[in-house]
Amino acid sequence: MSNIDLTLQIWRQKNSDALGKLETYTLDKISTDMSFLEMLDVLNEKLTMEGIEPVAFDHDCREGICGMCGAVINGVAHGPEKETTLCQLHMRHFKTGDVLVIEPFRSRAFPIKKDLVVDRSAFDKIIQAGGYVSVNTGGTPDGNAIPISSHIAELAMDAAACIGCGACVASCPNGAAMLFTSAKISQLCLLPQGHAERKKRALSMVETMDKEGFGNCTNLRECEAVCPKSISIRNIARLNREFVRAAFSEG
Amino acid sequence: MELNARIPSGPLAEKWDNHKFSAKLVNPANRRKFKVIVVGTGLAGAAASATLAEQGYKVSTFCIHDSPRRAHSIAAQGGINAAKNYQTDGDSVFRLFYDTIKGGDFRAREANVYRLAQVSNNIIDQCVAQGVPFAREYGGSLANRSFGGAQVSRTFYARGQTGQQLLLGAYSALSRQIHNGGVTMFNRREMMDLVVIDGQARGIITRNLINGNLESHWADAVLLCTGGYGNVYFLSTNAMASNVTAAWRAYKHGAGFANPSFVQIHPTCIPVHGDYQSKLTLMSESLRNDGRVWVPKNKGDKRKPADIPEEERDYYLENKYPSFGNLVPRDVASRNAKEQCDQGKGVGSTGLAVYLDFADAIKRDGEETILRKYGNLFQMYEKITDSSPLEEPMTIYPAVHYTMGGLWVDYNLMTTIPGLFALGECNFSDHGANRLGASALMQGLADGYFVIPTAIGNYFGESSIAPVNDSDEAFINAQQQVGDRLNKLLQNSSGGVGGKVTVDEIHKELGRLLWDNCGMARNKEGLEMALKKLPEIRQKFWDKVYIPGSGSDLNQTLERAGRVADFLEFGEIMIHDALNRAESCGCHLREESQTEENEAKRDDENYSYVSVWEYQGDDVEPKMHKEDLTFEYVTPSQRSYK
Amino acid sequence: MWLLRFSTSSIGKKILMASSGLLLILFLVAHAAGNAAIFFGSNAFQTYADTLHSLPVVVFVFGVGLFAVLIVHIFIGIQLFLQNRKETASRYAVSTKVCENTLASSTMPYTGLLLLLFLLVHVFGFGVNPTDTKVSVLVVNLLGNFFYGLFYLFSFCVLAVHLSHGFWSMLQTFGFNHPRYNDGIMKITYIVPGFFLVFFGAITLYFMTGLGANY
Repeated sequence: MSNIDLTLQIWRQKNSDALGKLETYTLDKISTDMSFLEMLDVLNEKLTMEGIEPVAFDHDCREGICGMCGAVINGVAHGPEKETTLCQLHMRHFKTGDVLVIEPFRSRAFPIKKDLVVDRSAFDKIIQAGGYVSVNTGGTPDGNAIPISSHIAELAMDAAACIGCGACVASCPNGAAMLFTSAKISQLCLLPQGHAERKKRALSMVETMDKEGFGNCTNLRECEAVCPKSISIRNIARLNREFVRAAFSEG
Repeated sequence: MELNARIPSGPLAEKWDNHKFSAKLVNPANRRKFKVIVVGTGLAGAAASATLAEQGYKVSTFCIHDSPRRAHSIAAQGGINAAKNYQTDGDSVFRLFYDTIKGGDFRAREANVYRLAQVSNNIIDQCVAQGVPFAREYGGSLANRSFGGAQVSRTFYARGQTGQQLLLGAYSALSRQIHNGGVTMFNRREMMDLVVIDGQARGIITRNLINGNLESHWADAVLLCTGGYGNVYFLSTNAMASNVTAAWRAYKHGAGFANPSFVQIHPTCIPVHGDYQSKLTLMSESLRNDGRVWVPKNKGDKRKPADIPEEERDYYLENKYPSFGNLVPRDVASRNAKEQCDQGKGVGSTGLAVYLDFADAIKRDGEETILRKYGNLFQMYEKITDSSPLEEPMTIYPAVHYTMGGLWVDYNLMTTIPGLFALGECNFSDHGANRLGASALMQGLADGYFVIPTAIGNYFGESSIAPVNDSDEAFINAQQQVGDRLNKLLQNSSGGVGGKVTVDEIHKELGRLLWDNCGMARNKEGLEMALKKLPEIRQKFWDKVYIPGSGSDLNQTLERAGRVADFLEFGEIMIHDALNRAESCGCHLREESQTEENEAKRDDENYSYVSVWEYQGDDVEPKMHKEDLTFEYVTPSQRSYK
Repeated sequence: MWLLRFSTSSIGKKILMASSGLLLILFLVAHAAGNAAIFFGSNAFQTYADTLHSLPVVVFVFGVGLFAVLIVHIFIGIQLFLQNRKETASRYAVSTKVCENTLASSTMPYTGLLLLLFLLVHVFGFGVNPTDTKVSVLVVNLLGNFFYGLFYLFSFCVLAVHLSHGFWSMLQTFGFNHPRYNDGIMKITYIVPGFFLVFFGAITLYFMTGLGANY
């Protein structure tokens, strides 16, 4: 364990309407065992004691599963480590003298609420448009009534691992939400439970995705590269197939 | 306070069916006239919101996060139990019931636990139908594993992310209802107070966390699905936003709080590495299947683990419990780790850790086999600690993980305030003094999907509920009080920082006090000391806490301060409860109550009851009530792992 | 209407982009096959050109079809470019690309525009032919000019770059993505643009270097 000294440039913005700018702070003697968010905690304690409003940032589980945290560190969503959320990024990946530029996830569909806090409710809207199997509680058949090969279950699980953090949108030069949308559509079109409404689902989820202001996918693969859960763009290929099939045969 | 558990009549196995038949119903066409508020969107909250909306009730759902998908149920790794007996290894509803009661050290209600075991099977069917990608066998049937030392394989799982997948299932059902208009969703809202009118829970006051606006919401019933209070210890495996505020507000309006001192401490967490640490990370208990727990025999031995020869290592669990060895239950493993560290044999930079060594397992099974079983856990450990468990032993230490205590509820999950229900970890009902692994998910979903619909219908059917409105005096007053309290929190901040303390400093102080004195081992002296110390910390908080920013804005410090203020009050009934319960039981050891072999000694004669605390006013000692536990179908036995 | 809804949706636009791209590649293949006649001498080449022109209906249908496809490809391309630029416009103070193969993928609109420029030059050079020079002579005149040839070579390089993302991107859009075949797909992604670069480049060099001077 050792300590490092850092310079931070953090995006400060009072609220959605205000103009924001990067502010510079220095932090000394940061233990390399800290997580990135703990480093921000330390900064916030310091700012508080200096009478400055602390940096607002979203976070919750701090174990990489809730999808609440996220920021762009030196241009990379969730920072330099692969398959890692911001809360699981540790300071040992940085060294003394590093300048870290910390910005919120930016996208037209994710308005900034304050500092690093953004509004990702557009993702919820996409799910609400059809990211479910329409079953009511009760009256469902026995869990083993439909056999599902373990291979298919695993593929569905690969897609279902999405934590909805929004890094894919933040890193996509076009601000597209294809990786997110395709992950849910893949999960449900792979599993037999989701087959009954697969066409309607693909059409309405894509329609909502477009309406919410996300950009167009141009197969740049940035999303896949920053995804903390390594969701593959194979899911996007699957979504494309689902969508075409639905568009040409639904109704 | 009257504690009528309203347990249905009839033999244990028929109680739930009898109850469903005798419960009052609400005509489907009339359901839309009833408005239900659900606070929280974890497994219990999301499941309840979706199910009640499907049935036709008007539901308003509130969550503290930016999306209902973030609730901390998402972090559960291991799995969910159900009595499906798909493996034909002798499981049954009765066995799951028995294991849960026994695991809870005979401090839970038989009828509730039996119902939990019964509906566990429906939960699996429901989740499969929703498209939860449970692990499958090659033939396509659902896979099971044995979990937490259970003798049967009854745990269903989706990799190490079962909680996530079940929550996303419930979230998708909730999303469908939001889309259909059955649920009105309020994101980034924190419940600040409960509104009780004519003795019935009729609404809540919320704060919009983005703009600080206080809002009133009326309803015909309020469901609290707000999780546990483990964060009272500051360091726990709970998410940062987990808090006791909603439950505590309910308590202050007259809801009984049951068994607040029942807290589960999980033995295999990554140890604390510095005072800046914000939370603890749990690693699956399954690691103890192959890892061997040890500490150096000599106190203060600072050598590297590899330099400590075999004869100078103390495999204390194997030595003390030869038949169970490293697989002793959670509480025993946790307690012994703490004991070793208290004796000065702890390892790591803080001395608050013990080794969990895979060297022998690797030698026996080969690196490949071990990696196949624990690869992802090793990876996670290495990411956090920068040390590879293949090369040197892991270090582990116990951490607060789950709270069995919670709002007292009857068989219908209703608290002592009519119309106020508590579901999931927020209530006390099913786990007694200790929760079995893979049972938290089961309880959350059971309450949300299957228990609450009957309970709500019954409540609406049998009660007279007068119309109310957001603009009623009760709401205006409540909103006023919430505003006053927020202003009081901000009062110290006007003059600047000078000599003041931060919210986290106070929270850490509170956490340390409770961890040391009201943690896994307690004694009268320590508890009494803590009870004296606590008001001092509380006073310091109100006198000195500094909160930058304003209340009319997104202010995360203010949010935390409000929660810590409630923890500071809540801690007191925890200590009272621990003090009252002079027996060792479930997860905690009361040092005065031990066997000759220094093992936990339960005292059924004097403590076979649920202790329920009633608010009497600020600065007035709370009043304790007892709900006696009677066991007709199981015989309480003393646990032994020797 | 479903077709309108489809073609204005983000994935619909992708699909149209990929489909028109595929047709353009097929056209290039046909074009290359025809131009292969060049290597069999000026007579062979002239005969091929004359035969083609003796079928005005075929030329007209293909011409119009090609034009339509091109318009779709260009129109949607520009639309995507403009829509996405709203998003891209220097979002971050520091911008870092995590992915490899970004030169081709991030310059698609620009390489596309350069190819449009090339197309205009090419069509005006060979298509608009007021003096009725034989095409087998015209090709020597035009490509024999060093700078003209250099522009052609440059454009073929641009084409190769455009296709090195475009071809894979098309397959991905059509939904071809499977771990078993992805390695193969990656190889084809380099073989296809490589082929066009080598083939068309060879024709140009043939005349530029003077090898075809006596054509």
